[in-house]
Amino acid sequence: MEILDVKDLNFTYPKAGSPTLKNISFSVNEGEFIAVCGATGSGKSTLLRLLKPELSPLGEISGSVSFCGKPVSQCRSASEIGFVMQDPEHQIVTDKVWHELAFGLENLGLPQKSIARRTAEMASYFGIGDKFDKNISELSGGQKQLINLASVMVTEPKLLILDEPTAQLDPITASDLINTVRKLNRDLSLTVLIVEHRLEDIIPVCDRLLIMDSGSIIEYGDPRDVISRIYDRPEIMRAMPAAARISAFLGEKNCALTVREGRELVRSYDNSRVLHTDHDDRKKTNNSEKTSPVLEFKDIYFRYERSLPDVLRGLTFSVYEREIFCILGGNGSGKTTTLGIASGIMKQYAGNVLVFGKKIKDYKNQSLYNECIALLPQDITTVFLRNTVREELEDADVDTSSLPFDLTPHLDKHPYDLSGGEKQLAALAKVLALKPKILLLDEPTKGLDAGAKNTIMELLRKLTDSGMTIIAVTHDVEFAADTADRCALFFRGEIVSDAPPEEFFSANSFYTTAASRITRGHFENCVTAGKAAELCMLNGKRGAE
Amino acid sequence: MRGFSELNPAVLMLYYICVIGTAMFSMHPVIIILSFIGSAALLVTLEKRPHLKLHLSFFLLFLVMSLINPIWYHNGVTVLFVVNDSPITLEALLYGVFAAGMILGVLYRLRTFTMIMTADKLMYVFGRFSPKLSLILSMALRYVPLMRTQTGKIRRTQKALGIYRGDNIADTLKGEVRIFSIMATWSLENGIITADSMAARGYGEHRRTSFSIFRFGKGDILFLILCIIPTALIIWSFAAGEVNFSFYPAMSGISDSPLAVTCYAAYGFLSCLPIILEWKEELRWKYLMSKI
Repeated sequence: MEILDVKDLNFTYPKAGSPTLKNISFSVNEGEFIAVCGATGSGKSTLLRLLKPELSPLGEISGSVSFCGKPVSQCRSASEIGFVMQDPEHQIVTDKVWHELAFGLENLGLPQKSIARRTAEMASYFGIGDKFDKNISELSGGQKQLINLASVMVTEPKLLILDEPTAQLDPITASDLINTVRKLNRDLSLTVLIVEHRLEDIIPVCDRLLIMDSGSIIEYGDPRDVISRIYDRPEIMRAMPAAARISAFLGEKNCALTVREGRELVRSYDNSRVLHTDHDDRKKTNNSEKTSPVLEFKDIYFRYERSLPDVLRGLTFSVYEREIFCILGGNGSGKTTTLGIASGIMKQYAGNVLVFGKKIKDYKNQSLYNECIALLPQDITTVFLRNTVREELEDADVDTSSLPFDLTPHLDKHPYDLSGGEKQLAALAKVLALKPKILLLDEPTKGLDAGAKNTIMELLRKLTDSGMTIIAVTHDVEFAADTADRCALFFRGEIVSDAPPEEFFSANSFYTTAASRITRGHFENCVTAGKAAELCMLNGKRGAE
Repeated sequence: MRGFSELNPAVLMLYYICVIGTAMFSMHPVIIILSFIGSAALLVTLEKRPHLKLHLSFFLLFLVMSLINPIWYHNGVTVLFVVNDSPITLEALLYGVFAAGMILGVLYRLRTFTMIMTADKLMYVFGRFSPKLSLILSMALRYVPLMRTQTGKIRRTQKALGIYRGDNIADTLKGEVRIFSIMATWSLENGIITADSMAARGYGEHRRTSFSIFRFGKGDILFLILCIIPTALIIWSFAAGEVNFSFYPAMSGISDSPLAVTCYAAYGFLSCLPIILEWKEELRWKYLMSKI
């Protein structure tokens, strides 16, 4: 049964020169799981919001959206179409978990008894029964997003729309959330429309894939067919799962989507001729140099309060000049705390931190921040204090012409209105004006689309080439594999392994990139999709000769 | 019946009004002593670890308040000694002691009130008047800590960027002003997301109901009766003028008429009702535990 039917939808924002959406037509059957992807600014969010009358933006609109056979504005869309947004924090309205779950039902004017039953039911289904009378502020980001999902599901919607629900979550909680959505889709035949940047988990489970580019739908259909039709669009392929990217490089007709299919594909190229390529030159020179360390942690112990357990236990590591050092590890393992200590915001209770051979506490009068160390936090909006990017940059004495990237189109926007990637660049501009020698980054790729991520990665390499040392804390294994000179795994407040990314990710079997899992046992030290495809090419297809 | 703190918040509220209201309008020594015993015992029971510092500061407060009265007021017939030509009288001293005891009893009682009546219970009580008010209170309770965390985050970020340096006051002030103004923007910005999320979940489309996890059960009715009857007795005897006590010029005796004695008993019961409940629950729990 057709649940949603969009016909010739056009939409123009007030005062905008060109339409944001152009001739959008598609339909969705009941129980389908639809993934929507496209670069930032391609009109995905606008399209989703037009499907939910309560959130529709103002502007010039033509065409029709019908839901269950009726125009969507005549439906009981508040309860029948659920909408989950990106930011876990601000979608939450009330202070208690139970109140948040009851909120939608209170709005429908349901009596006490049925609210009690439905909230209890939802809490059990989502496994949050033990948090029922907790304060929401005590929960983690992933739990908050789960509450958001549950509090939308209480009104029993027929269509669930999710706009980048996992952008602010770490990969493990993100895939938990996706699995929950998948489970809802299977158990209740709930129709799901989901926008995501992180497609590795989504593509293999979705029924249809919708790709948008500058306001139009360029492809819509079975994910395998769709992806094989866009092999020649590198800017879109960049966001696809590793297996699909390898297929695209090799021009395979039958596109692989999962790690399992990827392995089958690679097996057909494995004739043991070339097992590995050399590391690229840049990394080689860096490793052989072994300059003196610029930052050293010596046996650091830290806890937040006297009565709480240690967060860092005897943490010891050194970072050398001009390297990109990535720290990976689970939530709460102490990664962010480490950056806090390195930047002097937090104080360890035992051990020494040396910056350029000098103890951190000997840097008096903020001289630590004067052309020495700078930290970009995870919540990048906290960097901005002014009303326009221009004022922001003037405050920090930034010379826009000397920046390695271009911010001129955004100078008159409010920093909060920038997209994730633009925010990151604007913040970097502010930091670079301080001419730091050591740059500390906390989750620099969080919530970015594939294109923006690529820009950041290239920029970081450029910065190290000009003499900067970068320490990044990240959950993003693909980013670390592509960018880092050295990776370290953090566990229970100390570093348990540290090595160049090729060695590091080949040695890990779970905490590693999809490309590494695909090529394991076939090729050596291959952790990126690009390298995997290169090796396949060098080997040639089995039986081709 | 459930333990005292698990009763319906509206019932708890009524209890506090009764017990504090009657204590505040009486300077009768018996009432004051009973009020103090009841509230102090409840506070000690509720505190998992005794806050010695707090009790010490309360005791100092008590000393200061009791001594101020005899120093300033020289009424009374029993002169204890004379300082700087001013007589210090027994009546004024005792008045000070009992007035301080009354205030301390009420303070202790209010402290147990803040421990028992958490924000969500207060919201339940006031939300009875209007579901909208209850929603606003709930949103405020969520927003205030959220804003505090965000301000802290911004401050730390700016410190690590070293932009507003702490070494001169003008710069620090400028930084603080900027942080304040960006917090206004931040609140508005996130207010829009919250408003969207509320609209998406149908806020404002129907008449709202107000859901709460608090129930009104048999125990609450029983407690209400146990609370209202003694209060009525107390008010009656107050009105009949049977429990008057005057300190000046000479102390009157403590009345022992049947109505006065009933009033003491009623007040003692009212004052100790929570502690009786808590102890009863504990005993019951121990008994139930012994069966496991």
